[in-house]
Amino acid sequence: MKKLRGLVTGAGAVICILMLAGISAEAQQAQRRVGGKPDFNGIWQAMNSASWNIEDHQGEMGVPPGLSVVEGGAVPYRPEALAKKQENYANRATADPTEANCYLPGVPRITYMPFPFKITHTPTAIALSYEWTHALRPVVMDGSPHPETPEENWMGISRGRWEGDTLVVDVRNFNDQTWFDHAGNHHSEQLRVTERYTMTGPDSIQYEATIEDPKVFTRPWKMSMPLYRRKEPNIRLLEYECAYYLQERIYKDAPFF
Amino acid sequence: MRSKLFRVGITAVLVITAVAFVSTAAFAQARPAAYTPAKTPDGQPKITDGIWNRRGVGGLDGGALEAEAQRPNNPLDPTARNPVSVSARPDGLNNTDRGFLDQFSEKLGLGAEDPDRPAPLPGQRQLMGIAEPGRILPWKPEANAARQDFLLKTNPAKGLKYLEMDARCMQPGLFFGNGPFQFLQTDKQVTILSEYQHFTRHINMDGRPHLPKTFKMFMGDSIGKWEGNTLVVDTTNFNGITSYSREIPYLSEATRTTERFTLTDANTIDYEVTIDDPTQFTRPWKVTGQYTKANDLPELLEYACWEGSITMRNILGDPPSK
Repeated sequence: MKKLRGLVTGAGAVICILMLAGISAEAQQAQRRVGGKPDFNGIWQAMNSASWNIEDHQGEMGVPPGLSVVEGGAVPYRPEALAKKQENYANRATADPTEANCYLPGVPRITYMPFPFKITHTPTAIALSYEWTHALRPVVMDGSPHPETPEENWMGISRGRWEGDTLVVDVRNFNDQTWFDHAGNHHSEQLRVTERYTMTGPDSIQYEATIEDPKVFTRPWKMSMPLYRRKEPNIRLLEYECAYYLQERIYKDAPFF
Repeated sequence: MRSKLFRVGITAVLVITAVAFVSTAAFAQARPAAYTPAKTPDGQPKITDGIWNRRGVGGLDGGALEAEAQRPNNPLDPTARNPVSVSARPDGLNNTDRGFLDQFSEKLGLGAEDPDRPAPLPGQRQLMGIAEPGRILPWKPEANAARQDFLLKTNPAKGLKYLEMDARCMQPGLFFGNGPFQFLQTDKQVTILSEYQHFTRHINMDGRPHLPKTFKMFMGDSIGKWEGNTLVVDTTNFNGITSYSREIPYLSEATRTTERFTLTDANTIDYEVTIDDPTQFTRPWKVTGQYTKANDLPELLEYACWEGSITMRNILGDPPSK
């Protein structure tokens, strides 16, 4: 009898534990850790219109309106750089390296393109894979310095480190070819971006990017936005092959000899 | 008497079959059993972290680690030094596969060894390419005829569709791009990053089904599972416009591949892919090779191909206007 009571109590405890486990699945997701750090694995996406314009902008045909994601509202350009921005804006339909030419969008623009991206997070490595033209950023986490490369990179070279539970990615070795948005906001090859990814819940990351480029801006400045987990159970990255679609259009009647 | 003999015969057949089966199984398992990989926290065999390179898993026209001198000639190179060049072969391209492959692939024991090729390291799998007798693909006659017709229009390209995908900076389709690669494992996916064309392979391990047929993708849709030390990857939903090499214009949308990545030691993955494209071939065929840990490569660097590329303009001319 005693034995049976013990068995019943034990079974009850097990059921309770199982129920708790079920109830707190979401909480557990938040607590899941990889190599002692918050688990960033998943498919994420910004939900804003910064890709069209990182500053305040009203709606236009095909352009969703949006408030500035720039801290303080405006990008602190040097005067000659502001003139360049205005020229870019006027020519954006053909001059935007990303929208018009399908070139890699650079950082941080790739983060807020209106497409999902995947973070792969293991105890030793992190990789950012984007649906937009399968852009890829391996984030080296071994504490090594940025390599001395003569090459300038569209997506920069990324070195990650942890500050507590925040993933900090220091991105350098950029070229001067990418824009921050379709509105012509730009930078030089002296660009340095420091990204900070902080989980603020099981399904959200607060993203910050500090932009330094003494040739173009009067001071470092920052943009920030939340990133949201794509929670559809069947979510996955598909293919958006911008260059392929562009080639099919402009070379349709080739050869042109 | 007759029935007894019959029984003896049956028994013998059964015994022989059983022995054959057991020894085959033992043989098949012999190599993987020799290596016990570390396990991931959720119990999967662990692929060693870091960067890997490909050996021998080339298309018909290349290999990542092949020395320059061992690289094959470009089949579209019309000069005399390239005897199997499409352009130099007005005779109808017969035997292209064999002649071309013999320039760079190691033998399957079917012909003379290439004396210039370094011997494999001890215990290393022979580098191969197409693992078919004579390395001749089992073309359906009509597909082979279409291919030959197609190839004759590729140099110079008679239009956009005759331009190889590599020149268009597209993803390679089959997993044959030049390395290096980085393998990342989580509980739900094996993710492979490629420096070449900066593509990511997302191999779903969570039991989800393939995408609906509506989705046709350059790299297809991959589902993986572990069989012992072997990661088996089933890929469908190809888009029908990627190729195996310059000599095989396109693999159709019906293509299905089965890849087997077998961990044979901490620094080696034996690789085998079975390519099943029933619209073009009479049966599936295989390509085999190996991935080896590239300890001298610390990271993948940027491979920006389309950005500023003038290849298409050089081949097809300047588009009238964008």
